[in-house]
Amino acid sequence: MANTTPPAVARALIPPAWRTPLFAWALVLPALALLVGLVAYPFLYAIYVSFTNRVIGNDGVWVGLANYAYLAQNTAFNSAIWNTVVLVTVTGVLKFVIGLGLALLVHQHFRFRGVFRSFLMLPWAMPAFVCFLTWRVLYQPIGGGINLVLTQTGIYPEIIDWLGQRSTAMPAVIAASTWRGFPFWFVSFLAGLQAIPKELYESARIDGANAWQRFRHVTLPGLKQVIIVVTLLSSIWTANAFEHVWLLTQGGPSDATMVFPVLAYYGMQTQRIGEAAAVSVAMLPVLLILVFLATSMMQKREDEQ
Amino acid sequence: MTTRYRLTRRALLAGTAAGVGLGLARPGIAQPAALRGTTLTYWGGLIFSDAANKLLVDTINRWGQANGVRTDVVMINQNETVQKVSAAVASNTMPDAFDLNLDLLIVLARQNLFAPVDDLYEKIGRAQGGWLPAIDGATTTARGPEGRAGVPFGASGNMLLRRDDVLAKAGFANPPTTWQELVTQAAAVNKPPLFGLGLALSNVGDGNVQVSALQSFGGRIADDTGRTVAIKSEATREYLRWVKDAWDRKIFPPGVSTWDGAGDNNSYLAGQSAFIANTGSVGIAAKTQDPELFAGTKYSSLPGGPKGVVSPLTIQYRAIPKASKNVAGARELIEHLSQPAFMNAYFENAIYGPVLADQPKLKAFDGSSAILSGLLDLARRGTAPGAPDVYNVAYADAWNNFVIPKMVQRVVIDNWDFDRAMDDAQRSTQAIYDKYR
Repeated sequence: MANTTPPAVARALIPPAWRTPLFAWALVLPALALLVGLVAYPFLYAIYVSFTNRVIGNDGVWVGLANYAYLAQNTAFNSAIWNTVVLVTVTGVLKFVIGLGLALLVHQHFRFRGVFRSFLMLPWAMPAFVCFLTWRVLYQPIGGGINLVLTQTGIYPEIIDWLGQRSTAMPAVIAASTWRGFPFWFVSFLAGLQAIPKELYESARIDGANAWQRFRHVTLPGLKQVIIVVTLLSSIWTANAFEHVWLLTQGGPSDATMVFPVLAYYGMQTQRIGEAAAVSVAMLPVLLILVFLATSMMQKREDEQ
Repeated sequence: MTTRYRLTRRALLAGTAAGVGLGLARPGIAQPAALRGTTLTYWGGLIFSDAANKLLVDTINRWGQANGVRTDVVMINQNETVQKVSAAVASNTMPDAFDLNLDLLIVLARQNLFAPVDDLYEKIGRAQGGWLPAIDGATTTARGPEGRAGVPFGASGNMLLRRDDVLAKAGFANPPTTWQELVTQAAAVNKPPLFGLGLALSNVGDGNVQVSALQSFGGRIADDTGRTVAIKSEATREYLRWVKDAWDRKIFPPGVSTWDGAGDNNSYLAGQSAFIANTGSVGIAAKTQDPELFAGTKYSSLPGGPKGVVSPLTIQYRAIPKASKNVAGARELIEHLSQPAFMNAYFENAIYGPVLADQPKLKAFDGSSAILSGLLDLARRGTAPGAPDVYNVAYADAWNNFVIPKMVQRVVIDNWDFDRAMDDAQRSTQAIYDKYR
């Protein structure tokens, strides 16, 4: 057995009342150092940089709110705000409906259920860039899979420029993002469904509840915490995601799909680090609220359990 | 046959690299003994040609062996140069020398990050007939506080590629000389799935060919002071009228407003565009992927507008960071890499045009390659970067923010009227220029 008693010298130097707290701090310190070094410092430094005119090779000077003032008059920035809200909201609703629907379906007993479950996880398992490049190929106006199906089957005779028109670009991005992201919702809901006691359904059935009533009064309340946490986490990830928009449209056409991460990348491309940091920091308040809510919900769930 | 050809080419390349490397060991070209035992890190710009990349790496390594210098050559994807250099500057891990384009050079030179190379620049120029005027002008414009910041080694830019096989049948034997003529020819052969005009209108580098079109109509990004934006003008209106007319005639392939960097390449290679503006990489790709297309392709300079032809050069440089631990070695290496034997072999495999007055005499530019002939023409007749605008940091920032392609998108995608689109571009670009006052 390992000897956990402090060495004699330490025992002599450290008052007994301090020993336990000091020992606890010594255990926590490495994790704390990692947290400060890898999370807190870069985070706070990015906020500082957003108030400077830093470019590559020059730390720049404090410019106050100049970067934010520049962004405020930027058409692309204003588009990014609205587009991010639309993207997060609509993909969230779609992923919720698809994820929940499939979870309810797969929660039933049928042959090859395991295979079906694994199959549904494929979009999530696929590398994001492969997924979105595949969608880009599907959306190609000439020779793209979707247009081929539409024209060959006679459903719609003309070629649709899915990514090149304002009316279809954002829906196309939303569809691809939803496809890529729904398995996370599906698997979370499935886990949530499996945790709901069967007795509740039996009691409801004995009380005469029909399928809708059982869903409304047993399933949904049972999934409430999962729904909240998944919604918040997914919203944060979608708002922060870069590859879906970049690989599909680069924010175009005419800023129709411009979102914060892509705008920040453009800032980096022009070597203006201060400005790029300001774009990232501008979305912080909303993300912080979401993060706060998510962690609170998770904590509450743990407490309840 | 193919195998024999490849072997011969490889052997030729290897021989060239060996010859150029060993050339330094000749008694007549004494190398400073101070270099012996030093280390030199070089970041080369990775291009699509494996042969050119290998030649560069081999030549540097052989130079190192001949001079007792430990060389470490890292080929950097040119799309990632900004990120790599940013990280290296921040962490003080810059290489001893590296390749970069004029856009990045001008930004970094402004920060005084490079060792001045005026004497080296002039020495290389004197040895090879002087620098071509547009190259010299751009390099002088991009000078840092202490002097010129880089040594040019290659020029490129957009040429007009056309499906001569299709156009000739339609009665167009010669390339279009004006933008209007381009639309006429494109419309004449526009039979989907072959579309007439494969010019990118998206937020990528290829989309900025629209800036050249705008300028050739007499439009400007800013006035002659390089401080006040002058996008809103009658000339810009004329340009927008031209592009809107082409759009309404449905001669652009669908997708041009969101094409990525390979959009025009893919469209041309897939037989979906009769015209594209490209550096020539498409031609190289067609040579191996579609010899029939390659044979049916011809190259010419960009068309002109009422104010003539605007065909900006993109210049590649070799530069030495001030933080280099081996400035002397880097200078020797850059001088070595400018030697005609190496550059001839490099030009034959890369898609760069000449930068020095004697280089057009190299075998690479003897007219046997249509692409290199086009690049030679471009290097001679191409306009200085930015011209007629003042090429400064604000211009480069506006260029990288795709202000003109975005203005076009407002017109053709959002159906904004010309005044509204010009006002928006004027305001957003002035905000960019104001950052540098």
